[in-house]
Amino acid sequence: MPDILPETTPDTRSLRLGVAGPVGTGKSSLIALLCRELSGVLQLGVITNDIYTDEDARFLRSAGVLDPERIRAVETGACPHTAIRDDVTANLLAVEDLEEDFAPLDVVLVESGGDNLTATFSPALVDAQIFVLDVAGGGDVARKGGPGIARADLLVVNKTDLAPYVGVDVPRMVLDATAARDGAPVLALSRLDRESIDALTTWVQTLLAAHRAGAHVPQDPGPMAPHFHADEDGNGFLHTHEEGDASHAHDHSHADEHDGAAAEPVAAAGRD
Amino acid sequence: MSAMPEVDGEGRAELMLALLADARLPTGGHTQSAGLEPALRAGMPAAQVPDYVRARLATVTRVEAATAVVARHVALAAGPVPDGAGSPPAGGASSAGVPDGVASAARGLADTWLAWTARTPSSALRETSRRLGRGYLRLLRRLSEGHPAVVALDEAAVLVADAPRADGVPDPGAGATSAARAVPGAGTDPGGRAATGRRAPQPPRPVVLGVTAACAGLSARQVARLVGYEDVQTVAAATLKLEPVDPVVATGWVVAAQPAIDALARAVADLTDPRAIPAHGAPLVEQWAELHSRTTERLFSA
Repeated sequence: MPDILPETTPDTRSLRLGVAGPVGTGKSSLIALLCRELSGVLQLGVITNDIYTDEDARFLRSAGVLDPERIRAVETGACPHTAIRDDVTANLLAVEDLEEDFAPLDVVLVESGGDNLTATFSPALVDAQIFVLDVAGGGDVARKGGPGIARADLLVVNKTDLAPYVGVDVPRMVLDATAARDGAPVLALSRLDRESIDALTTWVQTLLAAHRAGAHVPQDPGPMAPHFHADEDGNGFLHTHEEGDASHAHDHSHADEHDGAAAEPVAAAGRD
Repeated sequence: MSAMPEVDGEGRAELMLALLADARLPTGGHTQSAGLEPALRAGMPAAQVPDYVRARLATVTRVEAATAVVARHVALAAGPVPDGAGSPPAGGASSAGVPDGVASAARGLADTWLAWTARTPSSALRETSRRLGRGYLRLLRRLSEGHPAVVALDEAAVLVADAPRADGVPDPGAGATSAARAVPGAGTDPGGRAATGRRAPQPPRPVVLGVTAACAGLSARQVARLVGYEDVQTVAAATLKLEPVDPVVATGWVVAAQPAIDALARAVADLTDPRAIPAHGAPLVEQWAELHSRTTERLFSA
């Protein structure tokens, strides 16, 4: 029986890259940045998930960094979690449309609706995902963990240029994040810091190469992060709510795969 | 489903009915309010939601249910999944290599599809139905892969793409009303691609649901009641996101709608001919749908 599922059609299949993270951390700006940097060398498409408006799609179209026809909004019906995780139908159809209309696309960027720390993409929708935090949200957020922080393919600590104004120690935040991720890549990013921008685009290009070579296996950050239960003596134990530790082990090997020029934690200092 | 031995047909129909009525069905239903959001925006008080539900069940939802019932009926002509791989299909095959039953079902489905189009004057409602239909079709392809009725639906898309249009309006399945799309429609139809390289038209939700019902062994009455229930439940659930209502109250509305759902089921369950699909209109629902499709700050897609 032939496989008639359209999303597996090889000739138009792009790298589908999710961008998740809390409201206001700079997901749309990061996508605009990627479009600005990469649209000259890669064929890109963008899907935005807006909870209440098509604001993000309009922002990106007005940014003039990509053909407006390549930017499409998916409305999530007040269920931003659902639309990227349990019922990805609307997003998958939008991605498939873009891939068909502008075939062949190299990368489709899928922006989640701004949500909280627990929202992650299903691997049924994206091949890899970036989780975005910003220094203005507080230096301790990376320590709080969550599936996106702990196990997204890349964690971005955004707006490092604001660090002096919000009293955040960027290297400390990056170290915390790297610890929370067992060494998986963390990128301190500022739109004013050329070196950090280059590190981001290199990471995407490296991922794309791995995807094309068949070396990249989509990973599920999972619905829950490993977390710590303290007991009365101040001791406790770390565990996850997953079946066994299989996916955890996966993450380690996954991180190793990308350890290279792009995947090394990059701690670009904020401007001060 | 074709691989399941010794299936209890009645049990399977009951299971599939529950599955298809479940809000957790992965078809993108969570983006829908069945027109409730624009209705409330237009000033309809939340207290009138039960009346709104009954009005829909008597008009647009009746067209939807009738379409699903007729689509189920005509899809059954495609026959069951053949026993064993490679066995010749029953009823012989046409010169094109398509079994006669499938060709007959395809013609019936195309007629049903066009009948629904003619009875759904709002392009916004048609576009929404096509989008939902894609979600259902994606699920149907996975659950009933290779079923003759699914093959017939792909064939029907080709027939609809070729259907002459007297009014010069773009293809009924083309989705040309959406300005956001460079190329209208969708690309999930490997069997139904139009020869011109355009995308094949997308079947609306009731047509796909009717085919799903045929594959799942649902009765005509079950599919009619399913459409009625799903519509009411969509409105009730959306109310909770839009207005401060106790969920047990909204659930009570669903139960209270039973006589209207039964009336709908009785009215459409015996239909078999696409021409007999009723043409009830609800101008306000249609107008609200049009307005909503051009509203930017909205919680639900439709």
